[in-house]
Amino acid sequence: MIYLDSAATTLEKPGAVPRASAWAMTHLASPGRGGHAPGMRAAELMYQLREQAGRMFHVNGPEQVVLTSNATHGLNIAIRSLVGPGGTAVISGYEHNAVTRPLYAIPGVKVKEAAGPLFDPEGVYAAFEREITSDVDAVICNHVSNVFGFIQPVGRIAQLCKERGVPLIVDASQSAGMLSVDMESWGAAFIAMPGHKGLYGPQGTGLLLCGGQVQPLLYGGTGSLSAQQEMPDFLPDRLEAGTHNVCGAAGLLEGMKFVARTGAGRIHRHERALAGRMMDALERCSGVTVFRGWGDSQSGLCSVIVDGLDCEEAGEMLAKRGIAVRSGLHCAPLAHRTAGTVETGTIRFSFSAFNHPDQVDQAAAAVRELARTAKK
Amino acid sequence: MVYYLIICRSLTYAQRTAQVLERVGIPGWVQRSPKLISKEGCGYCVRIPERRLTDALTVLRREGMSPKQVFLQTAEGEYSEVRP
Repeated sequence: MIYLDSAATTLEKPGAVPRASAWAMTHLASPGRGGHAPGMRAAELMYQLREQAGRMFHVNGPEQVVLTSNATHGLNIAIRSLVGPGGTAVISGYEHNAVTRPLYAIPGVKVKEAAGPLFDPEGVYAAFEREITSDVDAVICNHVSNVFGFIQPVGRIAQLCKERGVPLIVDASQSAGMLSVDMESWGAAFIAMPGHKGLYGPQGTGLLLCGGQVQPLLYGGTGSLSAQQEMPDFLPDRLEAGTHNVCGAAGLLEGMKFVARTGAGRIHRHERALAGRMMDALERCSGVTVFRGWGDSQSGLCSVIVDGLDCEEAGEMLAKRGIAVRSGLHCAPLAHRTAGTVETGTIRFSFSAFNHPDQVDQAAAAVRELARTAKK
Repeated sequence: MVYYLIICRSLTYAQRTAQVLERVGIPGWVQRSPKLISKEGCGYCVRIPERRLTDALTVLRREGMSPKQVFLQTAEGEYSEVRP
């Protein structure tokens, strides 16, 4: 099988990831719940994970790194911490349901869309400049669109937020492990990311980097201040109620070490080269529309439409040929509305550090074949 | 042996405290806070040798990590709070 769905989850992991998770299953107990060796070993692992994340994403202290079950979990915490009933949020035109649904669930919330054209960072920036006003409780923006790989100008948006005194939440789901994600220089209130995509950890892991006031989403035991009924007012305990996913954390730590060793920039360049190869091949093919950004506006994934062929059908046909891709709206109808593809959806090819050019060539050949068949 | 117990607000904070001390050569062991002195319920502390308290407090203050409370643990297992 050729797996080209890494924007959903990376399937091939560095060998140390499953080994670490399996080892943790029988050697590590609950961190923060006992002073015995398996508990303290687990605590040491969690601390190493927080430190590793702190180094990679320039976070002030390990306590500001919160282990979540995925990016959605982190985004829910971040949004609930900053946007209350009747509040106002500004979001980009490329947000995932992980952002729009939590906002929709807040009674009376006002959501302003800063929607710029696809692959036009200037246009996006101008839209944020218009929409960020003093009544805004939070700005929420993904670093990279999960549908099109559009790299949004988060650094400049962060600067704008600083100037206007509005807290920023960054969804780094498609950039962590590939692009520079910098808590310190962005001055973000929160950055949420999955552990199982570009960080090569197991599914069921994610990180929330916290720079501001937080409200718990989940209440329960933390192994600290047990005599009181309020949740602790300090991190990470305030946001980590219940037993941790230690097995996941063990794998995630190894995944992050792999990224650190390989270099996020190198992985990004590799994936971009593969996406570029795919787009070069398909742009020459009649009946295929390729969504391509130029310069630094696109990451290592590409979305296409095959004329006359339903994208879900195309996905099925590719799956039968042993090529795993993601079709449809990618849980991001807003992004499709902004780009004008909500009626058709797209077929998305996304890459990882473990993909090779020959896999791209085989996938491109399969799409060309589908396009030829669809025309008849 | 006599030790000092530096009480920390969380396990992560205790780990960070121990790490800061270790960097300057002060051995610190993260352990559960004894129930007798942990009035707010479960918690963690960093145990350091008696003679290193002054150095430890200096380093922690410099790092902006002044401890919440410090207890002396005697050889008999008794605890008394010290005001650094």
